[in-house]
Amino acid sequence: MTTINSNNQDNNMPVTAPAITASKQPLPTAKSVDTQSVLKRLQSELMALMMSGDSGISAFPEEDNIFCWKGTITGSKDTVFEGTEYKLSLSFPNDYPFKSPKVKFETGCFHPNVDVYGNICLDILQDKWSSAYDVRTILLSIQSLLGEPNTSSPLNTQAASLWGNQEEYRKMVEKLYKPAA
Amino acid sequence: MVVRDLRSLGFTSMTDDAYASAIFLLLKAKVHDLAGDDYRSSILESIKGWIQDVPLQWQLRLEYFAYETLQDLRIAKLFEIIVDYPDSSPAIEDLKQCLEYTGQHSKLVDSFISALQYRLLTAGASTNDILHQYVSTIKALRTIDPAGVFLEAVGEPIREYLKGRKDTIKCIVTMLTDGTGGNPSGPGNTGDSLLEELNRDEENQENTGVDDDINTDDKQAWINAQHWEPDPVEADPLKGSRSRRKVDILGMIVGIIGSKDQLVNEYRVMLAEKLLNKSDYDIDSEIRTLELLKIHFGESSMQRCEIMLNDLIDSKRTNTNIKATINQLSQTGGEVGENGVSLDILNSTIISSNFWPPIQDEALNIPGPVDQLLSDYAKRFNEIKTPRKLQWKKNLGAVKLELQFEDRALQFTVAPVHASIIMQFQDQTSWTSKNLAAAIGIPMDVLNRRISFWISKGILAESLGADSNDHTFTLVDGMADTSKTGGNSGSCDELLVGDEDGERSVASVEDQLRKEMAVYEKFITGMLTNFGSMALDRIHNTLKMFCVADPPYDKSLQQLQGFLSGLVAEEKIEIRDGVYFLKK
Repeated sequence: MTTINSNNQDNNMPVTAPAITASKQPLPTAKSVDTQSVLKRLQSELMALMMSGDSGISAFPEEDNIFCWKGTITGSKDTVFEGTEYKLSLSFPNDYPFKSPKVKFETGCFHPNVDVYGNICLDILQDKWSSAYDVRTILLSIQSLLGEPNTSSPLNTQAASLWGNQEEYRKMVEKLYKPAA
Repeated sequence: MVVRDLRSLGFTSMTDDAYASAIFLLLKAKVHDLAGDDYRSSILESIKGWIQDVPLQWQLRLEYFAYETLQDLRIAKLFEIIVDYPDSSPAIEDLKQCLEYTGQHSKLVDSFISALQYRLLTAGASTNDILHQYVSTIKALRTIDPAGVFLEAVGEPIREYLKGRKDTIKCIVTMLTDGTGGNPSGPGNTGDSLLEELNRDEENQENTGVDDDINTDDKQAWINAQHWEPDPVEADPLKGSRSRRKVDILGMIVGIIGSKDQLVNEYRVMLAEKLLNKSDYDIDSEIRTLELLKIHFGESSMQRCEIMLNDLIDSKRTNTNIKATINQLSQTGGEVGENGVSLDILNSTIISSNFWPPIQDEALNIPGPVDQLLSDYAKRFNEIKTPRKLQWKKNLGAVKLELQFEDRALQFTVAPVHASIIMQFQDQTSWTSKNLAAAIGIPMDVLNRRISFWISKGILAESLGADSNDHTFTLVDGMADTSKTGGNSGSCDELLVGDEDGERSVASVEDQLRKEMAVYEKFITGMLTNFGSMALDRIHNTLKMFCVADPPYDKSLQQLQGFLSGLVAEEKIEIRDGVYFLKK
């Protein structure tokens, strides 16, 4: 009548990096990371992401390269991005997770913190990166970034100035939205 | 007499034909008469005796004719004969001799296969019956044809058919583990037990070891060589002669399933179910079966089962130990009394869950005193076995309880959830289903399913409340229902209800497969979300590459295709021009 128990901790990630409990990572040993452990880490992240069942975010490695993923984010309900879907590309460095992955929008996204090339300005992808983050938390962060932009340091000033008028902004999003084929 | 007169007159050659046909007709009638539908005695001898009386010159032809007639007769009835096996073994022996004489084995194969198709391999026959018939067939044909060539031809359609049935594995495992072969109708059918077959194989392997080429014993090799017989001409040279050689019932049965892993897996589930429902720690028969299976399937594949049995043995020891120490403590401390429940009523089974099949987990609030007892027990376990801790699976196991009414007392052995339900009625005789479900901590539908046990026993009565979904359950008191419960109140040692309503505490093999598939489904959804559309082999390759964790993706392209068409049918994905899309 007995078994071992497994802990399930679930954290939702708002835009600016919050406290993260799970730390399955060993202490950073900087450069001496072998590819094998990166592979393992990405494998298990994929598994966790597939099993998490979060709605509106998804990502999957490209056919033969687990360092390059395609991601998909849908705009959350009750935001101006509701009903839109954005493709992302994620490319992981060889010393992941000690360095952050490069994440870009592949679909054009009219957003204060996204430039015309799809580059994203998000602290956890730059200076606030920590090895405790993973693909899932990145995607969730970007998803919530859509609805809660940081308009004080915009990449897209037009979007930032329009943000105050949500109705107009919605129209702009609809006008510029080109879903992936 | 006319014949003899004619012959004496020199008409021999002219009368031959007439004479022959007359005698043949007579013989045929005689054989039919003798043979009849009784397969329990050998009739070949009496036919031979009859032939002896015929003039010498006819004997050879007659003998052949007699054999052929009997053989045809027996072949036509072979199906019935095998149904009656082993009672019908004299008839089989006759048939063997006839066939040795006439060599018309192919006739047997053809006729028997068509009989099988027509009579056995139909939707109406139960899998158990088919399996029993298969085993009897193997045994019977082993007598006729030790090399197993015809058996292979005959067995093929049965095997193919059984592969298509879902419950085949389950039936086989039941046959393997039950001494009765799942058909406890009496002593007549001992021949059915596969367990006995396991025993027999064990002896065989000790004696000969012919199955392997590594026969180091020269003497034995020489004996084997002497016994060598050429393959019968009917043998299909395309099929390897080695595999054909051994007529090994278990091997042939396992052959139906395809791999022993599946069989072992199913056995593990069944064993888990059995062990979890035990209230004593008596596992002698399980150990015996396991030892036999180990001989056949190898130590390593049965290892998990062995660990399960060891868990039981350890549990017994730990259980005694914990009880002894707690009782000691309570004698000095004197605090046990307040619970009102003594530890003596509790026996636990401590399992190493990694090695057991996945176990169904169901939340359940059990009555306070019992809960207290369990945590005391767990605390003591932790003290003895630091750092290990007990995690109770409160929904498993069995509860023996006695219900006392004004006029009678009833005893039941039930699942914990049933016990929890009925305990709630101790203080409050009427509950609505909503409140009761909340009190026990189980979903409404589970409650409704489980509570029907007590309703069927006449202990509780159900009445519709104001809300159509909210029923009221009331304790049925005393006399009123004695007539209703009738037979039940007389003999109250009930079966475990877990078996009754088809509830299983261990996830079955199909459940496990479904779980595996659920993982693949998530991966497939994931890749289709991000790549839009994919062809079958790209999905296959991607799964192979990235779905590597537990359980790794190990399905064939065909299996994947089948699974994908399942998803298409569920309208989760769609297929157009050979590529799959997510259904939007």
